[in-house]
Amino acid sequence: MALTLRKKQLDLIVRMLHLNQPQGSPDGFGGGGGDGEEEEAYKILVMDNPCIALLAPVIRVGDLRKHGVTLHLNIDKARQQVPDAPAVYLVRPTPANADRIAADAAAGLYASFHVNFSTSVPRPVLDRLATAVAASRCAHRVARVADQYLDFVCLEEGLFSLAQPRAYVALNDPAAAEADITALVDAISLGLFCVVATLGTVPLIRCARGGPAEMVAAALDARLRDHLIAKPNLFTEAAATTVASFQRPVLCLFDRNFELSVGIQHDWSYRPLVHDVLGLKLNKLKLPENYDLDDSDPFWVANSWLQFPKVAEEIEAQLAKYKQDVDEVNQRTGGGRDGVEFDGTDLIGNTRHLMNAVNSLPELTERKKMIDKHTNIATALLGHIKERSLDGYCECENGMLVDGTLDRTKLMNLLRGNGTKEDKLRLAVTYLLSFETPLPSDLEQVEAALRESEVDMSAFLYVKRIKSLNSQFAGASSTASKGQFVDWAEKLYGHSLVAVTAGVRNLLSDGKQLAITRTVEALMEGKPNPEVDNYLLFDPRAPKSGTGGQFRGPFREAIVFMIGGGNYIEYRSLMELAQRSQITKQVIYGATEILNGVEFIQQLSELGQKAGLGGVSSSLPPQ
Amino acid sequence: MSRVRDRTEDFKESVRVAALGHGYTESQLAALMSSFIIRKPAPKLPFTNAAIKTLESVRELEKFIVKHRKDYVDLHRTTEQERDNIEHEVGVFVKACKEQIDILKNRIHEEKSGSAKTWLGTSDESSRLDLIAHQHGVVLILSERLHSVTAQFDRLRTMRFQDAINRAMPRKRIQKKRETKAAEPSKPNLVLKSDVSKVEDQEVSTAPLRVQEQLLDDETRALQVELINLLDAVQETETKMIEMSALNHLMSTHVLQQAQQIQYLYDQAVEATNNVERGNKELSQAIQRNSSSRTFLLLFFFVLTFSVLFLDWYSK
Repeated sequence: MALTLRKKQLDLIVRMLHLNQPQGSPDGFGGGGGDGEEEEAYKILVMDNPCIALLAPVIRVGDLRKHGVTLHLNIDKARQQVPDAPAVYLVRPTPANADRIAADAAAGLYASFHVNFSTSVPRPVLDRLATAVAASRCAHRVARVADQYLDFVCLEEGLFSLAQPRAYVALNDPAAAEADITALVDAISLGLFCVVATLGTVPLIRCARGGPAEMVAAALDARLRDHLIAKPNLFTEAAATTVASFQRPVLCLFDRNFELSVGIQHDWSYRPLVHDVLGLKLNKLKLPENYDLDDSDPFWVANSWLQFPKVAEEIEAQLAKYKQDVDEVNQRTGGGRDGVEFDGTDLIGNTRHLMNAVNSLPELTERKKMIDKHTNIATALLGHIKERSLDGYCECENGMLVDGTLDRTKLMNLLRGNGTKEDKLRLAVTYLLSFETPLPSDLEQVEAALRESEVDMSAFLYVKRIKSLNSQFAGASSTASKGQFVDWAEKLYGHSLVAVTAGVRNLLSDGKQLAITRTVEALMEGKPNPEVDNYLLFDPRAPKSGTGGQFRGPFREAIVFMIGGGNYIEYRSLMELAQRSQITKQVIYGATEILNGVEFIQQLSELGQKAGLGGVSSSLPPQ
Repeated sequence: MSRVRDRTEDFKESVRVAALGHGYTESQLAALMSSFIIRKPAPKLPFTNAAIKTLESVRELEKFIVKHRKDYVDLHRTTEQERDNIEHEVGVFVKACKEQIDILKNRIHEEKSGSAKTWLGTSDESSRLDLIAHQHGVVLILSERLHSVTAQFDRLRTMRFQDAINRAMPRKRIQKKRETKAAEPSKPNLVLKSDVSKVEDQEVSTAPLRVQEQLLDDETRALQVELINLLDAVQETETKMIEMSALNHLMSTHVLQQAQQIQYLYDQAVEATNNVERGNKELSQAIQRNSSSRTFLLLFFFVLTFSVLFLDWYSK
């Protein structure tokens, strides 16, 4: 069964917008319903802020109109009465939202209320809504209450985010209370449950031992088991509608500490650059002009993973082609007028050219707009790159991570040269992470350079401390006794250390590929592999007591989830993994939030400060 | 999906419990529960009723086009006359729908201007903002539906034009072939004639008859050629006319779109000037008030100072 997350989410949303009435007429106009469909043809959509963010990448305002939605409003803003329209609410199940819905119902703002919650509404909130509504005697207005299990943002066909900001900080905070961490783990598992419910399959869960990944996996497993007891449930329905397939996907859970360097790396491809330098949020870019960068832009789809200089070349090529087409059109229609002969074929040809030209004008204007947009973006990027000499950073980091070489002079030059403070910090942390035992003299030089540039050292010191805690146990660090080492580290220092070590060692062993890609590949193949053999396996469908038939692969479909902060670089490498294997594989990538390098290093700095490793005056820009 | 995700039953339970808690009587409770099951549709504004009716008529138009699509496109099922009929009917229908949509749009504007005229205009208008926006949305949805239906029909029409042109083109080619064929037999005829004339030198007695025959033949052939040329020209003109009407149609749709856009821009500009005028008035009022208040303030302080001085002198 194909993992088409975005399409399934869109289907659910459209169903919700049509008030769950049976649709379907073959010409796709949504007609053919009975009177009910026409009576409720013009609806108002009311959402709260997280749900507006959820809906934005998936459906546009024009498409909303096609499904009969005249207005979409924010639940928090003051709204006026529209007495004869049904209202569709899509909100998160919080008590504040319940109160507002009840207030709207009491004021009689709309004719009928179809309330949809983005995840499962807990009983207390439902009771709160019911009491408020009963007290004001307007319960008859509420037509429907439903759980939609839609609480994730699907940015592209294979990329989703749970929009839970600062999960990494909260999980690794040394001062975090037990209750906070449990709450966060619950929230993450609820989000994953929504994803899995929308896809309609029960996956096999694999995760590393210890750490947030195991906690989330256990929570998700428990939730799925509870849900599967009730019949009918979301998964039986999905199985009924599609052909029952014996292939279940594998859900791989990773923690950000597994591979820290990817989170802060500078990358030289177009899409990560735009995300990092210009701040791409929810596929929307805001130079002084709002740009949309998603599947509707063919240039973006084709060229977003190219290296930056090649992208500039592509833009040039497109511009040249556009000019050629425009000239052709002008010649055919304008130039032909000079020799007006009433020869039959010529005139007919002329008019046909005219028709084609007029028809192709809108297409040409679209192309021009797209080329202009990308030219502006590329120019802005170029400005930033020159200012911060980002190419130097990319090269240096690549050299350190992939080849393991260290060009000292270059490193020092970069640390003392241009570039924002975050850039220098990122370079320094990458340096730390790429070498297990850096020379003390080098380290001192690096630190001195950082202090010279007045960079906030908290992140650097935090990573250094973690590394040093690791290296104290380096005595038993041969791969054979990795199991013992894992036990020690786990007992004494919890989760983050083991993962950092594993990540670092993986990087050193095979620098070309990201560790996460290799692990996912190993998990999907299911062959015995020393790296992944001690990963835990959860199967919500299997009976709890039995150990029979632990299926370990091979899998054709995988959902990879990163707890703490995902990245376009990881996304790209997972896409490449899916494409380069001979059997068609499908990989979906998701994270608690999609962070770029700047934001992640800020989170690391925050953690460093919380751990009391505060450096020079905080240079964190206001969020 | 709806069965599992639906929490309406739970909600009804909660409402019942809450209602008991709030002291509903039995009859009220029964009424509440039944209102969940049997829904009374709320009374609708006349605007919405009109909009729903227009939507129905657009749907009917769609069904009509779909029903006759096969008849229209397929070359052999209907005559040209019937196709013209269909086109005419569709055109009339589209015009009627468009008029209904325009009426709806005007009604929004009337209501808006009507409410602004009352002296409580401003407060009333703000409470109707959402309603007006909703009605604009309704009109926009309707016009978009109509647009897509007419685009569908336009595509059918261009297919028809293409077929007509293609039918005209091969005929021309066949004409050309016939022309060349007619040219060729005339050549061997001429050659034959010269041969015959050579042979005829020996047969002088039958010469005048033969000459007459030949003259007649020549005439008929010339007439044939002329007629063929005329036919050619007529075919060409026909295709040109078809092309021109297609182009016309294309241009008119584009011009219409432009006209609408221009109209919209114009309206916006007019509104903008109105706003600027009102803004100017408010500003001048503010300036007046400012200056008048200043003088008043000065006078006030002046008087106060003197009264204080007077009281001081008086108390001494």
